[in-house]
Amino acid sequence: MKIFAIMKKELQSFFFSPIAYIVFASFLTIVGYLFWVILMTSKIATLEPMLYNAAFILMLASPVLTMRLVSEEKKSKTIELLLTSPISPFEIIAGKFLACFVLYLVLIILTLQYPLILAYYSQDFDVGPIFSGYLGLVLLGAAYISLGLFASTLTENQIIAAMVSFGGLVLFWIFGWAKHAFENDFGELLGNMSLFDRYSEFLRGIIDSGNVIFFVVFSMVWLFLAMRVLESDRWR
Amino acid sequence: MIEMQNITKYYDNFRALNNISLKVEKGEILGLLGPNGAGKTTAMRILTCFLPATSGTASVAGFDVFEDSLEVRRRLGYLPETPPLYHEMTVRSYLNFIGEIRELPGRVREERIGYVAERIGLGESLGRVIGTLSKGYRQRVGLAQAMLHNPEVLILDEPTVGLDPNQIIEIRSLIKDLSRDHTIILSTHILPEVSMTCGRVVIISEGEIVAVDSVANLEKNAQAAPAWKIILKPANDQKWREAIDSFSGARISEIRELPDAYEFKLELARGENFDEFFGCLSSKGAVFREISPVRATLEDVFLRLTSTEDRKEAA
Repeated sequence: MKIFAIMKKELQSFFFSPIAYIVFASFLTIVGYLFWVILMTSKIATLEPMLYNAAFILMLASPVLTMRLVSEEKKSKTIELLLTSPISPFEIIAGKFLACFVLYLVLIILTLQYPLILAYYSQDFDVGPIFSGYLGLVLLGAAYISLGLFASTLTENQIIAAMVSFGGLVLFWIFGWAKHAFENDFGELLGNMSLFDRYSEFLRGIIDSGNVIFFVVFSMVWLFLAMRVLESDRWR
Repeated sequence: MIEMQNITKYYDNFRALNNISLKVEKGEILGLLGPNGAGKTTAMRILTCFLPATSGTASVAGFDVFEDSLEVRRRLGYLPETPPLYHEMTVRSYLNFIGEIRELPGRVREERIGYVAERIGLGESLGRVIGTLSKGYRQRVGLAQAMLHNPEVLILDEPTVGLDPNQIIEIRSLIKDLSRDHTIILSTHILPEVSMTCGRVVIISEGEIVAVDSVANLEKNAQAAPAWKIILKPANDQKWREAIDSFSGARISEIRELPDAYEFKLELARGENFDEFFGCLSSKGAVFREISPVRATLEDVFLRLTSTEDRKEAA
């Protein structure tokens, strides 16, 4: 399968470069610190604040993981190899997305120690919100990576790619504020696009199929656009 | 095997190719020759489905590069100007990756990697990280990548750039070998490369084909008049020139004074009597040290065809 060939290659280069290790190390350090501080101050066996903060940190970190995905290929001209091989833009984008998503999942799995610690020591521990919270985090990751991957197809400059995806993610994160600014349909519409509003419902233990579908569709739209940009490179 | 018909390519308002048509038969090596910026790379990118032509059609192995791009890409091996390498991978894992996206099944892949590495002289470098290789070795890995899947058609953009003279000879003979069961287009601005490897040459300048022919024919036709290199020792320092000047069909150039002789290039217009000319000079007491015919080289052809002033004059 050519998708897996691309995926394998991407995972290899993540671990050949220090980027993956640095993102892992700083994310895990911050999350570990947050878990400790929040638990010590609140004395409540809940992961909600930690997961909320983790999502925010991942929003900052994921552009760093996605920025090189296509930009690097453009810069080093290897894109010419991919586009003249019998491989479709779909396979290229899917492979790259999966590689980054796998990396993200590993990152998330490494934080599972905290719910395990809570489950071990606390008297009344509610698994529900933890499960839904983690599901939300995984879906959110797909959204982050898709938008980042799209940004990476736009330019051969990794910094620009990172900045575009960072800007895009922050914008979608704070769209919800519009709900209070204009109390009309437009505000409602913007609010519905908010990654934060949707994610916070997962944190409260609600798995709404509408929210799940939103994240899936959100990701697919960006991946589709990334594919189109990659295709359009031929025409420019 | 490869056909381009009336291909024109514009980058915004810049015309990179103008109405190019060419045909390459199976088993042929065609050289694309031209100064930098002539449109060689653009032509190759159109054939490899990397760029679309603004107008015109192109096909490889009977498949249209636009309509059946996937089929074309399956049959192509392409070495771009910059070898497309992932510097963090080892040569082996890189070639393995290429094999995977080129749809080679596992066992064939192993075999081909071994075979190609052997042919290109990469056998001992398979375990090395590409980023640590020298330019010549990177070029080899690029070539290995292009021929890994044993494609019907090879398109090589300046395949010997960055290699040392020994490697260049090896790679050229490899390319000649490959032409037995591959059809090859290669581009270059190194003239001897064309004379040594290619059967036919297409000279491109400013996006237009200015000549298509075999190397031998091109050289033959480039010669406007027969020419000789002559070294002679005149009896009298000035008289020999007057003697030459008395022949209206003779033109001398590139005169060089040697310690006790003169070296110059003589061109005799067609119809001028060679024997008479030399007879006259020796009767004036000149002693000939050397007379050798000067053959037009591909350089001359190239310069004549690609220098813009000449072409404007001709037009």
